[in-house]
Order: sequence, then structure tokens, then C-alpha cells
Amino acid sequence: MRRTVLIAGLLFAVAFASVASAATIRAGVAVSLKEAMEEVAKGYESKTGDRVEFAFGSSGQVMAQIKGGAPVDLFISAADKQVDELIAAGLADADTRRVVAGNTLVLIVPRDSKDAIDSFDALGKVAVKRLAIGEPKTVPAGQYAQQVLKKLRLTAALSGRVVYGANVRQALDYVIRGEVTAGVVYATDAKQAGADKVNVVAEAPKGSHDPIVYPAVVVKKSRQADAAKRFLDHLASDDARQVLKKHGFTEPRPTATQPAADKP
Amino acid sequence: MSDLWQPLWLSLRIAAVATVLTAVLATPLAYAMARRRFPGRSLLEGFILLPLVLPPTVVGYILIVAFGKGGWFTRLLPEPWDYSIVFRLEGAVLAALVVALPMLYMPAKAAFGSVDRDLEDAARIEGANRLQLFFRVSVPLARRGLVSGLLLAFARALGEFGATMMVFGWQPDNVTLPISIYKAWEEPNLPAAAPAVVALSVISLGLVLAYNVTLARSRD
Repeated sequence: MRRTVLIAGLLFAVAFASVASAATIRAGVAVSLKEAMEEVAKGYESKTGDRVEFAFGSSGQVMAQIKGGAPVDLFISAADKQVDELIAAGLADADTRRVVAGNTLVLIVPRDSKDAIDSFDALGKVAVKRLAIGEPKTVPAGQYAQQVLKKLRLTAALSGRVVYGANVRQALDYVIRGEVTAGVVYATDAKQAGADKVNVVAEAPKGSHDPIVYPAVVVKKSRQADAAKRFLDHLASDDARQVLKKHGFTEPRPTATQPAADKP
Repeated sequence: MSDLWQPLWLSLRIAAVATVLTAVLATPLAYAMARRRFPGRSLLEGFILLPLVLPPTVVGYILIVAFGKGGWFTRLLPEPWDYSIVFRLEGAVLAALVVALPMLYMPAKAAFGSVDRDLEDAARIEGANRLQLFFRVSVPLARRGLVSGLLLAFARALGEFGATMMVFGWQPDNVTLPISIYKAWEEPNLPAAAPAVVALSVISLGLVLAYNVTLARSRD
């Protein structure tokens, strides 16, 4: 009897040990990366056994949660601003910072839109009832959109007609539901929604906004810093890049603060 | 969000319109429900009181599905009229109305229920018709309950947030007081929300105190 208990105990300990060695990382990620990241994580888990759990939201929301002490190991933002803030607050490890993807900004309209909107400039000429963008202070997509509107001198014409989404997907949803005339979102969001829901009208003109980058950084208080770094390295791998490309993301561009992820 | 005036004025206007509509709808409804028994009465009352317990997100969801673009009711409108309550003042008023209605309905029904039937019968004998009876006898006799209910309804309408957030959304420089507070918190910039928090608290406290005073007086 005692021997049985001993063996059972040993087996249990071994089983527990092997489960314990597989890490679970919590990643706070900009919501535009949702489907792509989930797919990358699935492949990563079957390859390494490490699990990645996600919390998605606007980059500003996720950053605020991390600032508030949320247990996040890895942060992936859709703009430099939120990562800069986290590093400045001493909450993120600047040495681990690396850009994992890029994106393009597009103007979209509801699928059955009857308005003659064929370009960003048309927003200043056609009667636009409402334009949906992400809220510029906390949503990078909104920040980029605001830059475009400013550059194209459309701010005055659209004054009082802009509505904010709490994140870029909410702006997208407003367009899908037809509650707004048009919206500015990432090309990947439009692709995710599908041509049966929204029409992509135009890409933002070159130079009309800051380059769209997705910087990732490991959170300092993380208890899974090594596992987080491993996943971050994986994001630079061919497998991960293929998935990102499939979802419509572009190659990470160098930014002022960090060169693009090294090609393996 | 250092501007307090725009959100305050907007919230007051929405709450005022919603309360007036609540009075118009809930008073006759409470009167009828206090007096008659008819099949389905309990179920109807259940629907009136539902917003009291439903999470605001459900209220917002239903409003959008019913009155948003292509909603159950909005799709019935004639073709060129492509209407939706989303982002519109009507939407905010409707959200406030739905949650304020039970706040007037309950005290109003109780008040009408406790009006001395003898007085009403006397008025009938004197030749008062239904309308005269309602406006010149029943309502004045029930006024304490009605006033206290109106105060509560206004307070509730002023504080409406969840459903309003979903229906009215976030329009720069066109936010309600509760929405302005939430958005300041999200930035995060909590200190910016302080004036709005103080304003809302002071006004709501005043309304609740007035409600208490009205009720206390009615016990004389």
C-alpha cells in the first residue's frame, strides 16, 4: 500500500513538473492584431508547449491597464507612443523593444453605401454625415487618422461630424453597421471584416501620417520574462511573419527608436 | 476634458426631455394599472420595471437592435428615410427615458392606489368625466407621490451611462456628463474628471434630498 502511494506520488510530481515547465505568458496586444496573434500563438503552443493568453484592447487601454498593475508579461502596441510611455514610467524593459509588424491606413465605407466617396479628399467635398475614427489620444489608429485629416486639411470640413471608437474595431463596427458614412481603420481590419461588410475606398496618401509600427516590449514586473522574450523572438521568425503577412500586415519598418526586427 | 459646461448642459437637457416624456407616459399608465385588472397586466408591468434590473449593456443592445440602422422599427420607415438613433440626441433621450420610467411609475402607481376612492366617487357624482377626474381630482391628490417620482426619474435620467454610451457613443465635444467622466478615466486623466464628478454628485444629492423631503411631507 505504501509503495503504491509512493509511486502515485512520484508520478503526480513528474506530471506536475512537466506541466509546470510549460510557461503561460499573458500578452496585452493592440486589438488590430487579434486574429493574427491568436493564430501565431496556436502554432507557437504546438511547437513549444508555451501558452500565450491574450488581453486585447486599444493600445492606450492596454497600456493603462499595465500602468494600473495588470499582470501582463508582453505588450504589443500599434504605435510608439504607448511603449514610450511605459518605458518612461519604468514599467517596460527598453532592451527588449522590437517592432514586430507594420500596417496601412485605409478609408472604408459600408458595403451598400450610396455616397460618392472615392478618396480621402472626397470627405471634404461630399456630404459626410459622420466619420468614425479611433479616439486619437488612446487609439493609435485614431492618432494616425487624425494626422491624415490634418495633413489633407479636412479637419475644419469634418468638424462636429467625427465620432470616436474606443478602439479601431469599434470604428470598424460603426461602418459595418452603417451607422456612419465612412471610417478610417487599418487595411487588416477591413480585410478581417471582409468585402461583404465594408468597401475599401482608398489608402492614406504617402506621408500623410507617421509610419504605422507595432513595437513590442517585455513588461518589467513580469514573472515570465524569459518566456515572454522567447515568444517575442518567435514573432520575428518566418512562421510568424507568414501568418502576419497572410492577415495583411506589412513588414516591420525601422522607427526612430528601434530598427526593424532582424531577419533570421 | 476641462470643459464642464458642455457635458453638464447636454446631460441636463437630455434628462429634462426624458423626464417630461416619462411624466407624459408613466402617469396615465400608472393610473390605469392602479385601477384595472386585465389579462397580461403583470407581464406589462414586468416590462415597465425591467430596466430597473437589466444591465445597462442589455438596455443599450436592445435599443440599438430595435432603433439602430436597419433595426426592427427603423427598417419599417419609408425608403429614403434611413434613420437610426445611434449618435443622435433622440437616442440619448430614449436611453434615459427607458431607465427613468420605472422610477416614476412605481411611486405614481402607489400614489394613485392610495387616493381616497370616496373623493373620486364624489367627483363622479358631481358629473366629472374621466379626463376631468384624472387631471383635477386624482393627479392633485396623488401629487406628492408624483413629484417624488419625478425627482427620482430626473436623477436617474441624469446619471444614465451604460446604455447611453452604447447608443450615443463618443462624440468629441458632444459628451454627456457621465461619459465625460469615464473618458477622462480611460485616458487616463482622472483629475480632469473631478469637476464633473462633483457636479453630478451635488446635483444628484440635491435631488435625492428633495425626494426625501417630498415623501416626508406626504406623511402629514
